Amino acid sequence: MRGYLAMTRAEFRLFRREPFSIVFVLAFPLMMMMLLAAVFGNDQANAQDVENGMLVWRGVAPADYYTAASVAVIIAALGLMTLPINLSGYRERGILRRLRASSVSVWILVSAQLTLALVTFVAGALVMGVVAWLAYDVMLPKDVIGVVVALVIGTAAFGAIGLMLATVVRSSRSAQGIGLLLFFAMWLISGTGPPRAVLPTGLRDVGGLLPLTHLVTAVQDPWFGFGWSATDLAVLAAYAFAAGAPALWFFRWD
Amino acid sequence: MAAVITVDHLHKTYGRVVAVDDLSFSVEGGEIFGILGPNGAGKTTTVECIQGLRDADGGTIRVLGLNPMTEAAELRQRIGSQLQDAALPGRLRVAESLELFAAFARDPVDCDELLSRWRLQEQRNQAFDTLSGGQRQRLFIALAFVNAPELVFLDELTQGLDPQARRATWDLIREIRQDGTTVVLVTHFMDEAEHLCDRVAVVDDGRVIALDTPQGLIDGLGLRSVVRFTTQEPDLGWVERLDVVESLIRRGDAVEVRGIGPVLALVASELVAHGIVPLDLRVDRPTVEDAFLALTGRTIRG
Repeated sequence: MRGYLAMTRAEFRLFRREPFSIVFVLAFPLMMMMLLAAVFGNDQANAQDVENGMLVWRGVAPADYYTAASVAVIIAALGLMTLPINLSGYRERGILRRLRASSVSVWILVSAQLTLALVTFVAGALVMGVVAWLAYDVMLPKDVIGVVVALVIGTAAFGAIGLMLATVVRSSRSAQGIGLLLFFAMWLISGTGPPRAVLPTGLRDVGGLLPLTHLVTAVQDPWFGFGWSATDLAVLAAYAFAAGAPALWFFRWD
Repeated sequence: MAAVITVDHLHKTYGRVVAVDDLSFSVEGGEIFGILGPNGAGKTTTVECIQGLRDADGGTIRVLGLNPMTEAAELRQRIGSQLQDAALPGRLRVAESLELFAAFARDPVDCDELLSRWRLQEQRNQAFDTLSGGQRQRLFIALAFVNAPELVFLDELTQGLDPQARRATWDLIREIRQDGTTVVLVTHFMDEAEHLCDRVAVVDDGRVIALDTPQGLIDGLGLRSVVRFTTQEPDLGWVERLDVVESLIRRGDAVEVRGIGPVLALVASELVAHGIVPLDLRVDRPTVEDAFLALTGRTIRG
C-alpha cells in the first residue's frame, strides 16, 4: 500500500510539472463532441430517426448520444495512447529496470498509472458534461451508478489493452504510432464518430467486435435510463482478462 | 567469514550469443569484490543473474542463502543495486526519488541521512534531468543504500566521472565497506579494481580467467617492476646481486633494474647504504592492466 501511494504521488508530481501531456486525450473528445453536437443538434425529434433498420441515435437526441459516447472516448484514448506511451518510454530510458531492482511490482506500476488516468478522466468528463449541459441542455445521466460501473470496467479493459501494447511494442515512438492508429480506427467505427447505423454493413460488423463499441453501449444504456447492459459489460470484462493476463505474464522491464 | 555469494557454473545465452559460459566464484562477507573485464565480457549479465534481475540458463547461484531465481523478492529487500545505464523520470526531484524508493523498502534509511552521506543536500529539490553526471551517479548510489543493504552491487560506478569525482566516490565506497557491507563492483577500469578491490575476478568471454587479490594477480603472473635512476657510479654489481633483482641494464648514466617484489624499497636502501642518492629514482610497477594483457594477450580495450 505504501508503495502504491508513493508511486501514485510521484506520478502526480510528474504530471503537475508537465500537464500538457494529456492535452490530446482530453481535447480531442471534447472538440469532437462539440463539433458533432453542433452539426446534429439536440432536437428530440431526431430521436426516432432510422437508417438501415437501426435507430440512428439509439432513441435519444444526437447531442445526448454524443456526450455519453465521448465520455467513453476519453477512456479509450487514455488506454490506447497515454498508458503504452508512458510505460514504453520508461522502459526505453531504463527507468523500469531501476524500479524493478527496488521491488516495484507491475501491479503497482500500472495501478499508479491508472489512478492518474482515472483522475484525469474524471476532470475531463466533468468539463465535457458541464459544457454539453450548458450548450445543448444535454440529458444528465439517469443512472449514475450504472455509468460509473461501466466506466470502471471500461478502464480495466482499456488499461489491459494498453498494458498489452506496452508489453508487445518495442519503442515509445512505435507505441505512439500504433496507439494513434488503433484509437482513430476505433473512433471511426465504434459509433463515436459516425453513428453505427449509417456505416456500411462490413464496417459495422467489425466495429461490433471492438471494445469501444461495447463501452459506448455500456455507458449509454444507464445514462439514457435503459438499464445496465450485461452483455457489453461482460465483453469488456473479457477483454480486460484476455489482454491483461498475457500482458502481465510477459511484461518486460527492459 | 562465510561466503555471501556462491556462483557455480553459471550459463546464460541470448539467442545464439553465449554471454556467460561457465562462470564460478564466491564472494566473502565484508569484502570489496571486483569483476573486471572488457565490455561484452558478460559482467553485467552475471551480476543481473545474481541479483535475480535475469534468469540464468544453467548453473546455481546462492546469495545470502537465497536463490535469486525463486526468492528474488526477499533478496531484493536485503541487497542494493546501482545499475548501469539506469535513469529516473526527468522531472522527478532528488529528495522525491529517495522518498519514492524508500516506500518500497521494509526498513528504509532516513532520506535526509542519505542526502547528507552522499553529499546531495544542495540538490534535494533539483530535477533529475538537471543533475550533472557525477550528481546522477551519487543519486543512484544513494538509492542503492535506501534499504540499508547487507550486500551492494555497483555496475560501472565511476563511468563518466572526472578524476576528482572518481577519487571521492572511491573514498565513499571504502567507508561503506568499513560499515560491514559487502560490495560487488563491476568495472572495466583497471585502476578502480586495483585501488578498491580486496579480490578481483578477471572475466573475459563469459568466463573467469583469474581470481586473486590485485597484487596476487600481478605477482602470480611474474610481472616485473622496473626501477629507474641515473648515476655515474661505475660499479653496481651489489645492486644486481640483490635477490629481488632479475636484471640490470645501463645505457650511459641511465640504469634500469627489473625484478619481482619490493624492488624499489630494496634497491633504494642499498643505494643509500652505498652513499648513492639519485634525484630521479622512480619505479614503474606492473598494474592490473599489465596483468590483463598477460592473461588474455590483449589490452582491455581489445
